[in-house]
Amino acid sequence: MARMKFLCDAERCIACNGCTTACKNENEVPWGVNRRRVVTVNDGVPGAEKSISVACMHCSDAPCMAVCPVDCFYHTEEGVVLHDKDLCIGCGYCFYACPFGAPQFPQAGAFGLRGKMDKCTFCAGGPEPDGSEAEFEKYGRNRLAEGKLPLCAEMCATKALLAGDGDVIANIYRERVTVRGKGSEVWGWATAYGQPKGGQKPAPQGAKS
Amino acid sequence: MSNLGRIVGPIAVIAALALAGAAQAQTAPGTQQQLIQQQQQRRVEQPLNNAPVWKEVRSGRPQFTSIPGRETNVLIQSSGQTWRALRDGPITQYGGWLLVIVVLAIAGFYFVRGQIKLHGAPTGRMIERFGGFDRVAHWSTAITFCVMAVTGLIILFGKLVLLPVIGYTLFAWLAALSKNLHNFVGPLFILSLLATIVAFVRDNLPQAADLKWIATAGGMFGGREVPSGRFNAGEKGWFWIGVVILGIAMSVTGLIMLFPNFDQTRATMQLANIVHGIGAALFVALGLGHIYMGTLGVQGAYQAMRTGYVDETWAKEHHQLWHDDIKSGKIQAKTEEGALAQMQRQH
Repeated sequence: MARMKFLCDAERCIACNGCTTACKNENEVPWGVNRRRVVTVNDGVPGAEKSISVACMHCSDAPCMAVCPVDCFYHTEEGVVLHDKDLCIGCGYCFYACPFGAPQFPQAGAFGLRGKMDKCTFCAGGPEPDGSEAEFEKYGRNRLAEGKLPLCAEMCATKALLAGDGDVIANIYRERVTVRGKGSEVWGWATAYGQPKGGQKPAPQGAKS
Repeated sequence: MSNLGRIVGPIAVIAALALAGAAQAQTAPGTQQQLIQQQQQRRVEQPLNNAPVWKEVRSGRPQFTSIPGRETNVLIQSSGQTWRALRDGPITQYGGWLLVIVVLAIAGFYFVRGQIKLHGAPTGRMIERFGGFDRVAHWSTAITFCVMAVTGLIILFGKLVLLPVIGYTLFAWLAALSKNLHNFVGPLFILSLLATIVAFVRDNLPQAADLKWIATAGGMFGGREVPSGRFNAGEKGWFWIGVVILGIAMSVTGLIMLFPNFDQTRATMQLANIVHGIGAALFVALGLGHIYMGTLGVQGAYQAMRTGYVDETWAKEHHQLWHDDIKSGKIQAKTEEGALAQMQRQH
């Protein structure tokens, strides 16, 4: 079974935020929540500016899953980290723990009272039956069940953002690095997939951060 | 990193968390400006080598993003992993075992020592020990404390203890109820706590007699009970360490987590949660001791806080200096005799 991963190529990302927009539209993401965002490092500095699109990385040893007081997270067979909004109590601990700032909370009342957590689902819905109305309302589209990949990566104009089987996207990236001749850092992979478990392959050589 | 809590001693880890900011500043590869210059240089000398950019990312410093929200401009935060290791590690493990041990110790103490009863016969002359304000403040704090303790324990330990027994649906419902009770009773607890501090601070100031009490543990483990003022050193310890220090620490850290709408960072909330967890374990452990002494442990103690009155014999045996001061007229205290006293004793 494929292990689904995201990969963002910092040499290609142009910070257009097309991924953010595509995700919001496809999944009808709640007001005030963005499941994906583009962060620009050294913004506006010539020769030092790099942009990276970031969302839930669907970690192997997911911190959100470890700290959740109601154990509402689970790994799918493809390694996607999903959660059950019927169980979520909106405590915010996953938000404390996540290195990528993925979990978001729609405001449910005064003084920042948190609603049910919302995050990137790798376009794989939730625990409800695949493609059901209930699943769409809570989690958005289940594109994986339709045989499609996450829309953020599919819509990416420069193909900076890759989503899919970790081995496949790592090979695509490796080819790019070979052609360029340098720069093999795969952003976020050591943090997200660094501790292999259950026979998963570790991050490709040269993985940083 | 996930084994950090188990490998390093918990105290060292707490210190590490507290010093994380300072340590990071010392070991950081460079300031933002230095890293930018390195990157610009590298772009000319070694194109496609972005190491300085990755160092900047790992620093956790805010960058630019057009997406609104708290810390959306931070690509990666490392302190979450430290928080996770502490919460799921020492706080859950040592905190949990501490409470189990305290409950067992109290049960053991009860079976060995039994209830501390009055030695002399009740005189029927009742002395007012706790006025109306004292009792309202005490019981509002007591009730809200119990709600906070039980709901807090469910939030931290429920996943390990209750979830396997009652299942996901019921436990999620219970946890949601616990979270809401914890959040809404919290402010009431803080107000009650402040009232309690105001009500009892004067008679909890340290006295010379406290030293002797501490030296013999107040005669709790045998021997004669050491004379004390209105409150003995044990009660004062609970007041200052429990009510004042831990109570205020719980209140401040609780408020930081309760109102996430002031744009406090994740690091602030993580630190607040760690202090809250350690403090709460100690607070509940001490609280169990106080609840035991105030109910099963000492005959007449519960009636004192319920009715406000104690028998003269009780006052003489447990708080001799206070009793003597009332007798000599140094302290003005209401006294009751006859029918009313009879009624109050029956409570």
